Order: sequence, then C-alpha cells, then structure tokens
Amino acid sequence: MRHRRRSSHPVRSVDKEKEKTSSKPQSNSSDVLSADLKSNLDYIRKTLGGSTDIMIREISLDEKDGLKVAVLYTDGLADQNTITESIMKTLARMVNSSKVAGREQIPSFDGSQILAEISLQNKEIQNFSKYKTLFHSLLSGDTIFLVDGFEDGIALGTRGWKDRGVTETSVENVVRGPREAFTESLRTNTAMIRRKIKDPNLWLETRQIGRLTQTDVGLMYINGIANEKIVQEARDRLDRIDIGSILESGYIEEAIQDETMTPFPTIFNTERPDVIAAELLEGKIAILVDGTPFVLVMPALFVSFLHAAEDYYQRSDISSFLRMLRYLSIFISLLGPSLYIAVSTFHQEMLPTQLLFGLAAQREQIPFPAFVEAVLMEVTFEILREAGLRLPKNIGSAISIVGTLVIGQAAVEAGIISAAMVIVVAITAISSFVLPAFNMSIAFRMLRFPLMALAGSFGLYGIFIGATTLILHLCSLRSFGVPYMAPFAPLIPDDQKDAVLRLPQWMLMTRPRLINKDNVTRRKSTPPQKSRK
Amino acid sequence: MKRILGLLLLTLAASFLLSGCWNRRELNELGIAVAAGVDKVGDKYRLSVQIAIPGQVASKKVGSPQAPATLFTSEGDTLFEAARRMSQSSPRKIYFAHLRMFIIGESLARQGIAEVLDLLFRDHEFRTDFYFAVSKENTAEETLKIMTPIETIPANKLFTSLQTSEKIWSPTKAVTLDELINDLSSKGKHPVLTGLEIRGDKNIGEKKINVENIYTPSHLVYSGFAVFKSDRLIGWLNEKESRGYRLILGDVKSSVNHVKCRDQGKVVLETLRTSAKVKGSMVKSRPHINIRFSAEGNVGSVECSGLDLTKPETIQKLETEMEQMTVRLIETVIQKVQTEYKVDIFGFGEAIRRSNPKAWKSMKEDWDERYFPNLPVHIQVDYHIRRTGTISDSFLNEIRETR
Repeated sequence: MRHRRRSSHPVRSVDKEKEKTSSKPQSNSSDVLSADLKSNLDYIRKTLGGSTDIMIREISLDEKDGLKVAVLYTDGLADQNTITESIMKTLARMVNSSKVAGREQIPSFDGSQILAEISLQNKEIQNFSKYKTLFHSLLSGDTIFLVDGFEDGIALGTRGWKDRGVTETSVENVVRGPREAFTESLRTNTAMIRRKIKDPNLWLETRQIGRLTQTDVGLMYINGIANEKIVQEARDRLDRIDIGSILESGYIEEAIQDETMTPFPTIFNTERPDVIAAELLEGKIAILVDGTPFVLVMPALFVSFLHAAEDYYQRSDISSFLRMLRYLSIFISLLGPSLYIAVSTFHQEMLPTQLLFGLAAQREQIPFPAFVEAVLMEVTFEILREAGLRLPKNIGSAISIVGTLVIGQAAVEAGIISAAMVIVVAITAISSFVLPAFNMSIAFRMLRFPLMALAGSFGLYGIFIGATTLILHLCSLRSFGVPYMAPFAPLIPDDQKDAVLRLPQWMLMTRPRLINKDNVTRRKSTPPQKSRK
Repeated sequence: MKRILGLLLLTLAASFLLSGCWNRRELNELGIAVAAGVDKVGDKYRLSVQIAIPGQVASKKVGSPQAPATLFTSEGDTLFEAARRMSQSSPRKIYFAHLRMFIIGESLARQGIAEVLDLLFRDHEFRTDFYFAVSKENTAEETLKIMTPIETIPANKLFTSLQTSEKIWSPTKAVTLDELINDLSSKGKHPVLTGLEIRGDKNIGEKKINVENIYTPSHLVYSGFAVFKSDRLIGWLNEKESRGYRLILGDVKSSVNHVKCRDQGKVVLETLRTSAKVKGSMVKSRPHINIRFSAEGNVGSVECSGLDLTKPETIQKLETEMEQMTVRLIETVIQKVQTEYKVDIFGFGEAIRRSNPKAWKSMKEDWDERYFPNLPVHIQVDYHIRRTGTISDSFLNEIRETR
C-alpha cells in the first residue's frame, strides 16, 4: 500500500492542510481527492445531493482536535456487520490500546498505521485517489475509509445487500436435474458456476458497461476449450457497447447479436447454472450481467434452443424421444394452422371423405373464410396468453375461464368459429410451449401468421414457398461466426450425435466441431463394460 | 435502395390483397358429390349426382327431417355440359374429387360408355379411385335415389359393400377408372363391370320409410358381371359364372365354396390365397391357353356325418373334389362366354400376346370373332387344405350315432 504522507505529524498539520486545500478549491472539483478530509466530504455530499441513504460518519479519534477519519457507505448496499467488525471495532481497539499505553500523554495516531490496520482486517481492499473510483465503489456497496491528511482513500469490500437468494428455477423446469436458478447478484452467479467447474482454466473477466448504471458484466469461458477468436470477438463487441444503461442481459444481447432483422435469437440465454456449465464445457462463452438471473451464451446454435438441460440427465433413449417430439412440435406450432387452411380451402381432395364431411358440417354456418377464422383464433389465443402472463396470480383463473368457456365453447356454439379450428389452434398453442426456450417459441409463433397468409392465398404451394424462404433465412444466419443451423447446414456427421438424437454419454466424445476447432476431444471413451469376473 | 425495397413490398402487398384467391373454395361452398350416374335419354346424357349434405351426415341430432344426401339431375348433349348445367339447380358448385361410385345406366352401357369416360379421365378434379357399376334394368338415376340403412349416404354403402364383397365373397369386382380404361384400350381383353340391382319396390326405396324399419323393403344389391364388347354392354353373367370369372383372374382374396360330402350333406371350404397363371401358347399355329390355378383353403364347416378329418385321405379326397369343382366353375364361364358372347373378357388374347407377340399380331384383328370362340383352354387346379378350423372331427358324427 502506498500512502502519500503529507506530513510527519498529521495532527499538527491539519490546519496547514486545510489552508492548502482551501487555497486550491479547484483540485476538489477536478477528479482527484485532496488531503483535507472536510473538503473531501463536502464535495462528496454535494455530488451526491445529500442523498439520505449515503452514510457519512466522521470520527474523531482524539477528544480534542485529534486525527479525524471518515467512514462512508451506502445504507442497504453495504453489510453493517462487516463494517462493525472490520472498521469500527478496529478503530475502537486502537483508541483503547493507545489510551492504555499512554495514559497521561496525548495519544498519538499515525494515519498510515490506521490504514494498515484497517486494511489487514478486510478481505477486499482497493486504494484510490480519484473521485470516480470513490463514487463507483461507494455506490456499489463498498465502504470508503478516508483519513484526514491523506490524498487517497481505501475502499473496503463490504458489499452485502438483501438479495432474493438462490431459488428454484421458474422458467426452465426439469423433472430431473438441479433445481437452483441464477439470482440477480453477479457474484452469486459466478460462484454457482465455479462450484460446478473447479478448473483453473475457468476464467472470468469483468467490466462495467452503461454510462449511468455502471453495470458489472462478466465474461466467462474456459481457457483452452473456448475458441480464442470467438472470445476476442466477444470482448471487442462488449467494448464497443456505448449505452446509457444496462438493466437486463437483453440490453447486451441486442447490442452484440449478429443479426437484428431476424425473428430468431442468435444468442442463447438461460437461468440455469448447470446449462451454463455445460455450455462452457462445450467451448461456449457466457456473459453474466449483474441484476438479472438470465445469463447469455454465445455462439448459439439453432439446435441448442431445442435442447433441454434434462436431455443429459435422463437416459439417452428417453432424451432422444423427447427431442424428436420437440422437433415435431415446432413443425406443428409453425405449420399447424396454415396446413389446415391450405387443405381445407384448396386441397379438399386430400382429406379422407369422412373427415371432409365432418369438417364441412362444422363449417356450414361459419361466416368467415378459414384464413380469417384462423387469424381470429390465433390472435385471440396470443392475447389470452399474454394476459395470463401479466395478470396478478390470483386473477389468473378468471382468464382461463374466459378463455376456455367464452372464447372456446361459446364461439363454436355461436357459429363464428368451427370446432376443428379450435382444435387446430389448441394443438398449435400447446406445441409451441414444448420448446424449452421462450424466445425461440415466440419466434415460431410469430412466423405462423405470414405462413397462414401464404396458405390462405396460395395453398400448399404458398406454405412451400414460405417454408423454403424460412429455411434459407435460417441457413444464412450466423452467431459469432458459427453457422446457426450447424450441424445440419453445414452437415457435420460427427455432431449428429447430439442434435436430433442424444446418444449415450460414452459416445459423446467430442465437442461441437464448429465452436472449437482445435480442442474437440472431450476424452477417450469406451462403452461401459460389465466386469468379467 | 429503400425506395426499391418499398416498391417491392408494395407490389407484394398488392398482389396479396388485390388478386384474391382465384381457386379458393371454402368447405361450405362445396357440393360434395359422392356418386354420379349417367343415363342416356334419347340422344342426350342425363347426369344424376348424389351430393352429401355434411350437416346431415356428421350431425349428432337424431331424426333430422332432411335426407343425408340429395340428388341433382340435368341433361345435356355432352356430359360436361350436363354437369355444368347442374348449377342451375344446385346451390353450390359440385365438387367431384370425393366421388365414390360412378353408376352407368344399362341403356347407356348398351350404347357405349367410352365417350363418358374421357371426361372423367381428363378432368383434374376426378380422382381415379372411385368404382364403377352398371345399374341392371333400372336407370342410374333410380338407383341413386334409394335410401340405405347403416351407411346413410347411399354412395358410401355402395362403395364399402362392393369393396367387402370383392374381398370376402367373389362375384363382384371393384373396378376403378384406370383399370377400366386399360381394359378398354387393350385388344386382348374386354372389360367387365359389376352389376347393381334394386331389389324390392323402388318407389318405397326412394322414401324415408325405407330406412325407418328394421327390414328395408327396398335395397341395392350387386349381382353378377356385365360383359362388355369393347365399350358396349352385351350381356350378363350370373353369380356362379361371375365367381368362375374371378377365379381365372386369380385375384380372389377369400371366398367360400362347398363340395359334396360322401353321399349326402356338404363340406364348406373357405378359399384363401388363390393364384392363377394364364399362359398362352401356339401349338401347330393354333393358340392354346393353359390356366394353372392354385389355391389354399380351410375347412369352414362340415354339414355331414361320418367324415374323419383327422385322416389324410379324407383331406386328399376333399381336395380332389374341390379341384374338380373349381374346374367346373371355370369351364362353365369360359364356355358361356365363348359360345354366347364371343368376347374375350379373360385376357386370353393378352396372354397370347405376351407369349408370342408375332402370332398375336396376325390374330389380333379378328381375335374375338375367329379365334376366341374356339380357343382350347386347359385348366389345371391345385387345391390345398391347410387347416380344419378350431375342431377336427365334427360333433355331427356323435349325434348321428346316438340317434
């Protein structure tokens, strides 16, 4: 620690220092601290507008005009216990011991001695001489310790505020697997990942982004597994961000994603530490943002949005079946209503005769074309879904009553919507919720509408055109330089083991090819064998 | 760039919004035709189309006043015109893709059906999976008016009943459009179509009373084959002859026949898995036909006593009986067609063509007149009984003894 001492005897030099600072008031308004405590504190008070949650305690260690120190912290952000333990008690001890030692004499305090003592008592210390650092530390929950006569202070790591604590996942639920989810606190989140990967190569870089919010953003990757080029690209993109505020990782996502004009997310996010650990181990990069439990992962492939954490915890046959089910359901959620429209308005010859009678009978009284009917129902469903999401929990049941009874049953009975359409919309809606990633399922839900319009005007031909365009678009996407549709386009035979299917763990010997070109071998592996005794 | 993009979007939007959807047909704008019938009235075609009323077919209401289907008729110089003229009486455009049955009136069949078939084959709306039948004695229109029980749409009844009887009995054949046209255009084979009769009072059959009681006074029954000379009907085969005809084709999936058991009583055999190989050959520049027919069967029921089914001899005897019976069946129909109709409905000419195309070339022009009526046909039947059902000896044996 480097203390710039202004005087050998700080007690006596106070006045001198005061004169010095008062004669140079400009030094305060610039960005460096002065040696005069009082003027420093004044400046701090002025800058913070006297905010009442900023606690400034001036402590005089002598009865008389002795050495003055100041302890500053933000109430609620800094942990009171730590402050008491490490600062107040130390100060008290020093005062007491000096009283015992020199009973009759004027107790003398050496500023540097105090600083050294305080520093020893704290796990995190940082000295600074600039106001910028002071404010950042103070407002981040650190405690600022200033000693009169010194031009730099120390920031003590006392961050400790009331957070939500680690709770169960609320979005990505599993039947089998860890239950914990990330919290809003960056440090808790990094700890949760570290707990899963105890490897020195798990590296974390932190930076502050956001002019006003100064949000901590962590870049995490496993050195040696992650592709260095992609890591560098991520660093560059983070450094290029110039934004006023970061309140959620979505801000970062929008600022660094490859492609804005696409409904598909090219950056993956999750609230599950186990998913992040798995992605890091595949060579991907995680970006953690303070204040949100959602951690970004890049590069993101299309397939990872269709994979659930649980796929790796259940046996491989179960997981493969469930994955295929998910692939099927994205087809249903994308094409369900449009296929119904196309077949029922253009290609009636494709229906079995009995089914045709059934559908035709239901449609007898319906005043709208199938396309209008479908759009009506789909929009209604989207409104219901959105309403159900935003409603306070205790009125949620009202929505389901209105949704099922009024809109489902009554609309059919009133002859506005055919029952078949309700079935189609319902199966489509349910299929769209099968996707583990909400942003991907909403992408497919949005694309449903243009496809419905195509089906309504050109039939199956229109659907074909729409689907082809969609596939071409998907194949054109990149996420941090990695083709979005890998391992399908480009086709990587090796990586098919973990795409539509999930082969047994012992067969998953290599990491995805495109993400880390060099270090792909996870391990040498043989199938589990029975002991031959 | 932005201007171009904007213009492009505008054009796209316009093409969506202004063009409309020219061939869009909502389900409730369709008159779904399930059966069509053609008769000849004078020199005009009379087209009758049975249209299903989906609301009646699929409704859960019981005892609705409307019939499940309705019939529209119209006349025209050509079938296509008649079909379009129907729009004068039908509220919806008639949609033929789900046609199940096409009934040809006997009057038309006798004058020739080829002209009618071209429309069905050419028009894109017709699928080729509907069946043909010739309405015997009645007009097609009358046939399509009969109400049927169980299958409320008469066309459906006709369709499924033809399918089933082809499969498990054998004097009928479900002929589709492409098969019919194949036979018509082949020189070595003439088509046959299954006949359709109205049994009972057809005036009652047209009314709802017909299906209101357990016994339906009037119903539709398939009966025997209509023999065509090229596209003209020239006569009918009875049930026995029709079964013989099917055996020669070798496509019987399942059928039932009986043979005499000892002196009195009958043994019924269920025939499964038949195959017939019709081979043509030229012997001394005369065409010959060899039919090798083989079949497998089960003992279906024993209606006599004293038959020991556990003995291999009994089974062999039954097989021989069955073989003789089959030969008789086949011979009967061949003889009748050779002497009475003189048209090759069996495809013997085709068999000759396949075995000896050169000889066929010289014969094909007067095959039906000169060669076919005197064609020697050698029949060889191989019948195997595989199973005797769930019991071996009949309990009838016990009953007679104690009597």
